[in-house]
Amino acid sequence: MITLEDVSYRYQRGGRDAVSGISLSVSPGECLMITGPSGAGKTTLCMAASGILEHEFGGEKRGRVTILGKDVREYPGLPEIASHVSVVFDDPEAQLIFTTVEEEILSALERSGLSPAEIGQRLASILEITRLAALKDRPPHALSGGQKQRVALAAALALGTDILILDEPTAELDEEGTASIVSVLRDLKAQGKTILLTEHKYSHFRDLVDRLVVMEGGRFRAIGTPCELITDRSVAEIVIPDFSGIRSSFPCRPHEGENPVISVRDLGFLYGDVPALAGVSLDVYPGEFVAIVGENGSGKTTLIKHFIGLLHATRGSVTVDGKDAKVTPVSELAHSVGLVFQNPDHMFFADTVAGEVMFGITNLGIPEPEAVLGEVLSRCRLSGARDLYPRWLSRGERQRLAIACVLAMQPKVIVLDEPTTGLDGKESREVMEILRQLQAEGRAIVMVTHNHEMARECADRVVTMRAGRIVSDTRNGA
Amino acid sequence: MGEILQYIHKDGLFHRMHPGTKIFFILVIGIMAILSLSIPFLCALLGVVLVMALAGRILREVLDQMKLILAMSVIFILITLVTMPEGDVLFHLLPGGLLPVTTGALDAGIILTLRFAILIMAFQIFVITTQPRDLVNTLEKMRVPIEYNLMFLIALRFIPTLQIEARKIHEAQLARGYSTGKGFVGRIRSVAPVMVPLVSNALSRANILGITIDMRGYRTRKRTPIREERLNMPDKVFVGVLGFALAAYIAATLLQILR
Repeated sequence: MITLEDVSYRYQRGGRDAVSGISLSVSPGECLMITGPSGAGKTTLCMAASGILEHEFGGEKRGRVTILGKDVREYPGLPEIASHVSVVFDDPEAQLIFTTVEEEILSALERSGLSPAEIGQRLASILEITRLAALKDRPPHALSGGQKQRVALAAALALGTDILILDEPTAELDEEGTASIVSVLRDLKAQGKTILLTEHKYSHFRDLVDRLVVMEGGRFRAIGTPCELITDRSVAEIVIPDFSGIRSSFPCRPHEGENPVISVRDLGFLYGDVPALAGVSLDVYPGEFVAIVGENGSGKTTLIKHFIGLLHATRGSVTVDGKDAKVTPVSELAHSVGLVFQNPDHMFFADTVAGEVMFGITNLGIPEPEAVLGEVLSRCRLSGARDLYPRWLSRGERQRLAIACVLAMQPKVIVLDEPTTGLDGKESREVMEILRQLQAEGRAIVMVTHNHEMARECADRVVTMRAGRIVSDTRNGA
Repeated sequence: MGEILQYIHKDGLFHRMHPGTKIFFILVIGIMAILSLSIPFLCALLGVVLVMALAGRILREVLDQMKLILAMSVIFILITLVTMPEGDVLFHLLPGGLLPVTTGALDAGIILTLRFAILIMAFQIFVITTQPRDLVNTLEKMRVPIEYNLMFLIALRFIPTLQIEARKIHEAQLARGYSTGKGFVGRIRSVAPVMVPLVSNALSRANILGITIDMRGYRTRKRTPIREERLNMPDKVFVGVLGFALAAYIAATLLQILR
């Protein structure tokens, strides 16, 4: 269906080849999954295989790409390629143009050359396969991440192509959202579609994937059936996150008898008149690593925003480092609590990595700024990136930079929202090691995640939330 | 959070009308509002727009803009007080005979406010009740190039997305000890930590958006009209009434000038 022969590509902004000397052949009906660290060239490979690179991007291209036996250069443009290949990108927001779900799909169907009766049938079947029938009148901003991604997929299906290319379709999604995408793809595979996808969550896609490609530094590190590949330990640690032994390698001092650094008492919070938190009580002690798990909408993010005064309790109290979080300004609480948000791109604005870290240091007036800068960069393994432009770093590096920015403000508690979004197994482990190291020095860590396994393996304590309440609070054995 | 300028799914009079009828409605109301200098007439016109909103079951949504309109009216009246001190002096806004409030300025400010209120509310009725896809199709039929068409559509679509994103960025920067600077220069400088991520993210999104539009064939493929929008009875009646009102208004204005 698609072949790549010795394809290399270098972006206009320079640097090394994003992909280099890649050859690949995708057969009909196959599900091929591409994985590897962020910045390995997975997205570039998707762009190359769909002809987007050839028709939309400048830069230096070598090699040959064919779609259904025809060189992509012989297609006049993207619209012609789009009759054979559909692409879904990782950011669903950018792929929703219209203001309701049904419109989004219909607008694409209207251009597919079908008769009105066929359009009606196709719409119904797409809504069914993507499980969107109940949401068809919703606007995009009233959908969850998983729902948005399904709408983007549904609009791509409208063109009825046999080949689907998906670039990290579940990157921002929780367990439930990921499961819904997997089951949609399973049905599509059963219909005979050829699927090329880049993903980090191999374990979710296990029974779907025929062949696996592991990329690193723009090249293929390994290619073959999953069973063959994961026998190699160094490949397996990229494909399947392994957090074993992290806890025991960073022994932490007991905290009994100390005052809690965060103390939440009977916290209630309403968004408008919708209760988001109902009677939450929680103590976090210095030197403790707490994971908060739960599905989207269970109140995890709402809870941690109270720690730094971004939200104020409707009921109950939050005390942070002896300060009442309800009346203390955010800038003051930032001395005690560092909050790392899920999407690092919401914070980067400086021209260099160093400038980005200095922002927080200057805002809080931290003494000896240069020394602090050097220290946090080396801790987050970014010393070599000091003068680079933050937005051109890989996702893994950007995540570590976000942690460095917060660390530089020297808070007693570091709170992270989904710190392994978009990272492969090895990169995720790297982030966890940094966090354990910080904990060993006496800082408290609070991590929000959907990943139960990571919570179990890395944290000392796992707090489970459901519908705005804490339903369980268990301590992990050492 | 209030979402501005978004389609709201409902079953109302205007929802069922042809987009062309609604465009004609905005044009007629707009022409009258801009040409008229009479406060009673403008008030009546505003009343008509509100009754229309009520009939279309979207009065509450349209009235949501009241705050914006009131804020604008204060600004308009202040500007006219300073720039057009005509007519009789009613009283002074500041002690020592400063900032006289004159009848002429007050009239001008009220007229401006009423005009804008009418235009904003009429536009609201149009946007709230028209599915963007129908709008795109109608504009396409009126031979508006599809690029402009999509531009308008995307601008409307991304307003709430940008609002939500700006709030997230603001929170992320607050957590880094960011505060709005003091003084004029400080204020300008403190814009960067929020605006730079917002604009950078929007730009990288625009790239994907462009590719998506091309791959779905919005710019190149021919459209199969699935729901042929026709002018129904309510459309015809409404267009007739509007046409008559416009003609009557022009006739009355001409008569006034000739007299």
